[in-house]
Amino acid sequence: SKFLNLELCCIIFFFSSEDKITVHFINRDGDKLTAKGKPGDSLLDVVVDNNLDIDGFGACEGTLACSTCHLIFEDHIFEKLDAITDEEMDMLDLAYGLTETSRLGCQICLKKSMNDMTVRVPETVADARQSVDMSKNS
Amino acid sequence: QDSRCGLTGAGYRGILCSLPGEKKEFLQNGPDLQDFVSGDLSDKSRWAEYKGNLKREKGERLHLPPWLKTKIPMGKNYNKLKNTLRSLNLHTVCEEARCPNIGECWGGGEYATATATIMLMGDTCTRGCRFCSVKTARSPPPLDPQEPHNTARAVAQWGLDYVVLTSVDRDDLPDGGAEHFAKTVLHLKERNPKILVECLTPDFRGDLKAVEKVALSGLDVYAHNVETVPALQRKVRDPRANFEQSIRVLKHAKEVQPGVISKTSLMLGLGETDEQIYATMKLLREADVDCLTLGQYMQPTKRHLKVEEYITPEKFKYWEKVGNDLGFHYTASGPLVRSSYKAGEFFLKNLVEKRKTKAI
Repeated sequence: SKFLNLELCCIIFFFSSEDKITVHFINRDGDKLTAKGKPGDSLLDVVVDNNLDIDGFGACEGTLACSTCHLIFEDHIFEKLDAITDEEMDMLDLAYGLTETSRLGCQICLKKSMNDMTVRVPETVADARQSVDMSKNS
Repeated sequence: QDSRCGLTGAGYRGILCSLPGEKKEFLQNGPDLQDFVSGDLSDKSRWAEYKGNLKREKGERLHLPPWLKTKIPMGKNYNKLKNTLRSLNLHTVCEEARCPNIGECWGGGEYATATATIMLMGDTCTRGCRFCSVKTARSPPPLDPQEPHNTARAVAQWGLDYVVLTSVDRDDLPDGGAEHFAKTVLHLKERNPKILVECLTPDFRGDLKAVEKVALSGLDVYAHNVETVPALQRKVRDPRANFEQSIRVLKHAKEVQPGVISKTSLMLGLGETDEQIYATMKLLREADVDCLTLGQYMQPTKRHLKVEEYITPEKFKYWEKVGNDLGFHYTASGPLVRSSYKAGEFFLKNLVEKRKTKAI
């Protein structure tokens, strides 16, 4: 019966962690922050709920009135994201350090296929390390 | 900001017993609950003893230094103001942006000049700046057409001598709300021609016609905040805002209304250098800005920028001297100074003094 309990615990643990999606954030200073979220959580939810140390992220609370949740995605993840709306595009266009695989984190919701993905948090001001700034206002 | 210590007498003694000798001595000779409650800890001489870190290291979050702790607001004047506002469906930026001075300003200072900063056009802004906790939405609720009238009535009820009107950004409105602003000033002056009115306006996305509308409405002080040094504009403010645009707003107000007094504000502690602050102050003076306020940035929620540095009261005094030397009409500089902090008092005190020396 000892083994049965252990198995049960393993099964319960497996199922409860089964539906969590792991996301890695590469912060502006290069640090890797790892957090989990449920399917349907936005990336902004993940950052806020896990108290990730990303400075000034989500100022407008996900109402598409700022671009502070700007994130850069891996190519294979980016291709499969839901199409961008005009409202998101309006704000994303204003983001500093815009790239071809940029999106606003508050609009991207977790799917199982995103498990273990890595997203990059871009710089907010001119910095030696950053890549070409493609935003309109630069 | 709560200045009361979390430790009760009993708990404090209990913790005392289990500490190493050095710490015990430190605690025994340090402040007790009575000191906090009596307000003695706001004494300047003790600030110099503050040993906490003032400049943020990586991964750290700074603790609030003692000169930034304020009393919990209470009292007759404060409650009276709060009730009047609610009954007239008005909002103050004091409440919406969680200003630490609310008790002091609403209570009325030594000149008994109560200052309140009324937020027009609702409590929801169309921009999400990384220093501001005011609510944000793409399409906030429509303007209340009764607001100019109600505001004038409320201000008359208070018997305020000096009122500051400010607003959220309304990029969703064609004129950014300029007409609404101007109407409020007109109503105010109609009811009480002697009242002094200051308008702290948005940048109206650089629409100079909108600036003109407000500047010609009869106000006494035209204020618009540049917020930070040029190098940090992109990091701190919404990308639709920028330094040059803000300078244009301030310059234009004076061009169309030469008698008006212009004013701006800077937040310190966001990572700017002394050289940048000085250069910015010079640019502002060159743009003929009359009044300058400097205050400490404080992080309102975890979604906003961390404080990079807590500037000491002494350093703020230094910047006040720099501002005076550069020739600003007045420079209000201190950790808790905000754009409209004691605006009435500074203005009136200054005006009275200048008139004595016939400088104006």
